[in-house]
Amino acid sequence: MSNLEEKLWDYIDGSATADEQQAISLLIEQDEAYRAKYLELLKLDQEFAAIELDAPPMAFTYNVMEAIRAEHAQKPLKVTVNNTLIKGIAAFFVFIILALVIYLLTNITWSAGSVSTQFTNLQLPDMKRYFTGPIMQGFLFFDVILGLYFFDRYRRRISFSK
Amino acid sequence: MQSKLSDIDLIEQTLAGNQSAYADLVKRHQRFVFTLALRFAKNREDAEEITQDCFVKAYRSLSLFQRQSKFSTWLYSIVYTTAMTSLRKKRVETSSIDDDNNAIQIESTGGYDENNAENRSRSYYVNQAIAQLLPDDAAIITLFYKGEQSLEEIAQTLGMEANIVKVKLFRARQRLKEKLERNLKHEVKELI
Repeated sequence: MSNLEEKLWDYIDGSATADEQQAISLLIEQDEAYRAKYLELLKLDQEFAAIELDAPPMAFTYNVMEAIRAEHAQKPLKVTVNNTLIKGIAAFFVFIILALVIYLLTNITWSAGSVSTQFTNLQLPDMKRYFTGPIMQGFLFFDVILGLYFFDRYRRRISFSK
Repeated sequence: MQSKLSDIDLIEQTLAGNQSAYADLVKRHQRFVFTLALRFAKNREDAEEITQDCFVKAYRSLSLFQRQSKFSTWLYSIVYTTAMTSLRKKRVETSSIDDDNNAIQIESTGGYDENNAENRSRSYYVNQAIAQLLPDDAAIITLFYKGEQSLEEIAQTLGMEANIVKVKLFRARQRLKEKLERNLKHEVKELI
């Protein structure tokens, strides 16, 4: 590496320390060879800085935005589903299973000295009571409204992205 | 009005769902990104593909941009990674310093006859010499002179130490100077 050129490039870039800048500045003033080299590098620096940027085709921005839109449209369902929602559903089922297990364990009559356990007092809730006509109708009505709401949101998102 | 907004403002708007803000961001950076991609690609078609790929990738990861550096520095690091991956994929032969046959195509920028050496500008020769450099050297020169990047920012973009970038820049300048002198000598001989 040429030490002289390296120092001069540092001087031109302004990356030398203040002391070095001053020393090089003095050398340029006093030394003819140094000054000639400095002027040569300075000219090169100006030429390098004057290079022109190439331009992509006219429709480039449009193509990029189209590619982004296409990618959004092709995004698989698993990517668009909110992970919090998945975790929430999982937590709900874990809670139900745990509650059922706890309920079962607290209702078991453990007979001392016996290997077998008896489920004498175990009584599961009568689920049929909860599935009466009005409750089912209300449930289905709520589901339909929720379905329409999500469908509307989905349609809106598609029309906005267009 | 949009052009006066900073990169960060445009990013905020994009993240809020305004896609036209991202289009403005693309318009603002596309020329430099395309030029940088041309330093690695063999032709304009490949460079265009790399550039488009970079902007799509950047859009996808926009929410991950930490804002600890300039957006341009972050974007250029995507360009560098994408271009290097593309180079490896396509097994493009990197142009040797002494191999003029591997020079990257340079688009005609004017209406004049490019075969006439008298009509060629000095800038044309600099571009031609850059195209003959190794992709890394050409990228460092471009980032330093046209990307408004400091040595530290270039180091961040290329994943190198700043002092290594400084040495590489020095060497790239020397090679560029040699290439330029050789090309100009050749042109002078042609004229005589």
